[in-house]
Amino acid sequence: MSSYFWYVLRRLGQFVLVVFVGINIVFFVTHATPIDPVEQAISSVTQFGQSDPRAVEIMRKALRELYGLDGTLWQQYLTFWKRLAIGDFGPSLSAFPTSVSTLIGQALPWTAGLLSTSTLIAWCVGNFMGGLAGYYRKNRLLKAVGIVATGLQPIPSYIMSLVVLIVFGYFWPILPISGGVEMNIHPGFTFDFISSVVTHSLLPVLSLALITIGGWFVGMRSLVSNIVSEDYVVYAELAGVDRHRILTSYVMRNALAPQLTGLALSLGGIFNGAIITEVVFGYPGLGTLLVRGVNSGDYSLVLGIASISIIAVATAVFAIDLLYPFLDPRVKVR
Amino acid sequence: MLKVLRDLFRHNREFAFGSILVLIVLGIVVASFFSPYPPLDSYVVPPDIPPSWDHLFGTNSRGQDVFWQLSVAMRNSLLFGISVALISRVISVAVGLVSGYVGGMVDRVLMSINDTFVVIPLFPILTLFYFMMHDHMSWALLALAMASLGWPYDARLIRSVALSLRNREFTTQSIFSGMSTRQILLEEHLPYVLPIVFSTTLNNINWSIGLEVTLSVIGLTNIETPTIGTMIYWANQHTAMVAGVWWWVLAPVATVIMMFIGLFLLSVSMNEFIDPRTRLARMGV
Amino acid sequence: MKAAIFCLTASLLAGSISGQAFAQASFLAGIPRNEVLIAENPEGRVTNPTWFNIWVVNHGSSSNGLQQLGMDTLWYIDPDAGIDGVWDNSLASEKPIYNSDFTEMTAKLRDGIYWSDGVEFTADDVVYTVETQMKNPTTVWGPGFLASVDSVSAPDKHTVVFKLKRANSRFHSLFTVRWNACWIMPKHIFEKQADPTKFEFNPPVTLGPYTLKSFDPNGAWYIWQRRDDWQRTTLGRFGQPGPKYVAYIDPGPPDKRVILQLNHQLDIIHDTTPEGVFTLAKQSPSTRFWFKGFPYAHPDPTLPGVIFNHNVDMFKNRDVRWALTLLIDMKAVSMASYRGAATISAIAVPPTGLYPKYYFDALEDWLKNFEIDTGKSKYKPYDPTVAQQIADMLRPSVGDKIPKDPKEIAAAFGRGWWKPNPQVATELLERAGFKKAGGKWMKPDGTPFSITLLVEGDQRPVMTRAGTMIVQEWRQFGIDAKTQAYPSDFFPRVASGDFEAAMAWSVETWGGHPDLSFFLDSWHSEFVKAAGERQPPRNWQRWSNPELDKIIEQIRAIGFDDPKGVELGKEFIKLAVQEMPMIPLMSYNVFTCMDTTYWTGYPSAETDPYTDPVPNWGNTKYMMIKLKPAEKK
Repeated sequence: MSSYFWYVLRRLGQFVLVVFVGINIVFFVTHATPIDPVEQAISSVTQFGQSDPRAVEIMRKALRELYGLDGTLWQQYLTFWKRLAIGDFGPSLSAFPTSVSTLIGQALPWTAGLLSTSTLIAWCVGNFMGGLAGYYRKNRLLKAVGIVATGLQPIPSYIMSLVVLIVFGYFWPILPISGGVEMNIHPGFTFDFISSVVTHSLLPVLSLALITIGGWFVGMRSLVSNIVSEDYVVYAELAGVDRHRILTSYVMRNALAPQLTGLALSLGGIFNGAIITEVVFGYPGLGTLLVRGVNSGDYSLVLGIASISIIAVATAVFAIDLLYPFLDPRVKVR
Repeated sequence: MLKVLRDLFRHNREFAFGSILVLIVLGIVVASFFSPYPPLDSYVVPPDIPPSWDHLFGTNSRGQDVFWQLSVAMRNSLLFGISVALISRVISVAVGLVSGYVGGMVDRVLMSINDTFVVIPLFPILTLFYFMMHDHMSWALLALAMASLGWPYDARLIRSVALSLRNREFTTQSIFSGMSTRQILLEEHLPYVLPIVFSTTLNNINWSIGLEVTLSVIGLTNIETPTIGTMIYWANQHTAMVAGVWWWVLAPVATVIMMFIGLFLLSVSMNEFIDPRTRLARMGV
Repeated sequence: MKAAIFCLTASLLAGSISGQAFAQASFLAGIPRNEVLIAENPEGRVTNPTWFNIWVVNHGSSSNGLQQLGMDTLWYIDPDAGIDGVWDNSLASEKPIYNSDFTEMTAKLRDGIYWSDGVEFTADDVVYTVETQMKNPTTVWGPGFLASVDSVSAPDKHTVVFKLKRANSRFHSLFTVRWNACWIMPKHIFEKQADPTKFEFNPPVTLGPYTLKSFDPNGAWYIWQRRDDWQRTTLGRFGQPGPKYVAYIDPGPPDKRVILQLNHQLDIIHDTTPEGVFTLAKQSPSTRFWFKGFPYAHPDPTLPGVIFNHNVDMFKNRDVRWALTLLIDMKAVSMASYRGAATISAIAVPPTGLYPKYYFDALEDWLKNFEIDTGKSKYKPYDPTVAQQIADMLRPSVGDKIPKDPKEIAAAFGRGWWKPNPQVATELLERAGFKKAGGKWMKPDGTPFSITLLVEGDQRPVMTRAGTMIVQEWRQFGIDAKTQAYPSDFFPRVASGDFEAAMAWSVETWGGHPDLSFFLDSWHSEFVKAAGERQPPRNWQRWSNPELDKIIEQIRAIGFDDPKGVELGKEFIKLAVQEMPMIPLMSYNVFTCMDTTYWTGYPSAETDPYTDPVPNWGNTKYMMIKLKPAEKK
């Protein structure tokens, strides 16, 4: 048991390292930007309305004070970490004075929902089908599915989302292609709201699942085909154990462990795919928020989203790492 | 060497299919050097003409011939992908070999850094990078940025090969004969690792082009340069799908999918070929 | 195993069928479709949706219906003809009253106007609005008041008196809506707040004819409902507003907007691509546009053009600027940017609203006779038929949608432009000391003549396309010209002066009223900044000229409606033609598409140009009066 404790400690150390390095990168990149939020604010106000040049100077001075853009880089760095500890990313500069945390809080559930649903579906279905394909090697239908999966695997997320959008938006428009929920429905545990959320999520989930399902299928299939030649499987077959039972209890259970590691390693990539899919479908999650933040030069918002992404993915990986030894007792928790 | 390729082509269906796809795409790329229209110019032909004998893939709403645009775009995207792949190979081979061979503390440190980069989601970082660079953003800089983020996955792979090589007899022999670490890595281990590196390169090209397409479509790269991503970007700008100019979207999407699948099949079949167990399994042993 | 696959397929099918059923279910739950007008919010999804305090800089959204339907102020000037003339006294009962030297302004207010919560509107609200914003310079209009107002008082419930710090004959423009203006704050709500700049104002108490019914906590839609006491608002004089509900939504990228209107789920598209408009014109018989045929779009009173940075040496010489102008083929630029659906202008005012009457027709003869003397030859650059040529060019492919009547062509496409002439351009450049060496032009100091034209990128695709075309034409002449896209920080970059030339606009006008002070006042040399400093709007080109200053000062000395103002405006235009400080191209055409399936009565150029159809203008409230439910077919 104590070896598990050391294992956890080492994993925790890795987690902290990831978060620290990642957030440092994000901080320095955002603060190296030449975009000045005060000038952005001034130009957005004067773009349409009456503009008196004398007034602009007054506005500029007032905004500089308000946004708190004084202090050296080092001071801003320290303030940033202090605020981060309590989860405060400061006010958004394009939607002043609403705080970045509020904005992220509104968008995060959508992204989390999209990510978890599609990952779960892709992982389960992909592994299940892959396991079948690896075991029943002669089955024609499974071979056909295999070819489709291999074809899907290398396609990048944007192209996949675009194709899904075109098919279901132009050729066969049976599902909504933008937004998270239908208009004028109030959030709550009503049937209307929940069913609307579900229908609006079908296409993004489909895109995201299709992108990753190929990988799980192919990986599982090759893992299973390796395990099939192992001694204990051959022995079980000779002993007359029911084929279905061999598949589930002997073969797939052993293949799941490496697939779980694979899941942990690819979470970062899946997150990328989710963000891109959201942008394509106008889904109100972190992806759309991030692109708007970049386009309006709001670096507080961009900084906040990037930090949250890093923390979220690192936490998920950490959680999977913790569970891993329980799934595969062969792993030596050195 | 050529005999091996020919045998692969004849007996390995995936290799055959993959190489055909890649050759088609390369053909289009080579055609770009013979393009009759300057690639950056617009309104050189009448816009929105469907595919016909004059214009194989039709023309787009900017008055450009889609086939010739596609050829230049594919060439640029491919060049970009290859440069990112090459640069990141250098990093991943270096890290993987050193880490696997030397082991110990160096290994632990390098692998921690490696895992850090694997976990960090790339897209927000790249958008941030664009944010920071703005008008100093060039393709070279973007390639550098992506290369420095794209090495970790394969570094691990190379490291595991290096680990197994460490305990082989010829390695111990080299150590006894007084070769330095650097010599051993470069002269003895590198040739073993190269075939794997090659197949990971193909995957990496796919990955980097995919990322380039994503960034370009959102408009975060230099949209004046024709690439697959910027072609789709301009098509969206002109609402091509709704306006019925479907060939403008289909051409780059189909071509790039062909290339992705082709490169992927090549890398998979080469992997199979290299790994003796699977090679034997194919022969039915 | 086979059973598993069968189950999977069956459930997918079932899911898709039920999905179809859901998608066709009511688009707007709970509201009958024929009672709601659905318009596009060009800001897209609002980032902080619960913020309605429109007075704070960088507030969430103004175009979600808040300024169009909920806000009100003293006067409105229409960018087109107006319902009953261009000028409307909204909260005010008559035009502003100035003293003889423009240091004091009095506004008389209407009686019987009430806020949506039943409190009466009085002069105290106006005084509160001015004083509160002056105390808080991070408000939108605070700095404007601080620059002009000495004190403000309300001698009675319906009179407000402003004492000004300096003579300002156009002080009233702060309260005159041209897209927006200083909206009036409800004193009885805001005075209860400790800090008015931190108050969310959710839900807003409105002075306009609509109140907020509901909105999406994620910022995708806002639904406004007509007030039951609409007679007690300023719009009550005209009658009951037609739509009971108005929804402003985020419809997504331009192609999705077209799809939504084709499915009759979006009544007013704010803007889309020219290609999207052509698709709607072909496939949707119920869609209407500002012009009944080509170019369809509404020309907003803004003038995009090539802005030269006069701090850059090579652009300080007028010959260079004119030479570059004479290299541009406006027909090609119109085709590249708007697919021909552009309204061109050769002079420094936009060809929109009532300006054709005031300036374009009046100056046509002068333009035809305008002559450039290069020292080697004399050249009359104005070609009055350029717009006709564009129309003729489009007729074969677009056919009967192109008007034939010359007056209609002039209204839709514009009048003339400058004839390209590389020979004259060469002579002008040589006079300025430039030389051509081996097919490439060199500056007088021997370095290559290269120009980088800053464009906004995908945020403003039409202008980007125009810029790309112009640069291509300069390149063909031998100048090393290229564009540079700078999407997310474009206007601050232009303001900072860190550019050589830019595709932007420095001319914006009232539209319906001929007074040019809306932009011209800021062009005075007292505001021009040196290189390295930020230029306040709108003289982005940083052009200064003593004759220009004289014109501006004369305008400042006369009243807003003084007919001498038009004469002075004409003098400005003539000066701008001679000096060519920026190259005027065309008006900012907005492709607004209006679906008549559920509502009719939209403004149109030929039959009823009573306001701007673009739905994010404060002036949009006047559309509500004219819109009526369409007859059931």
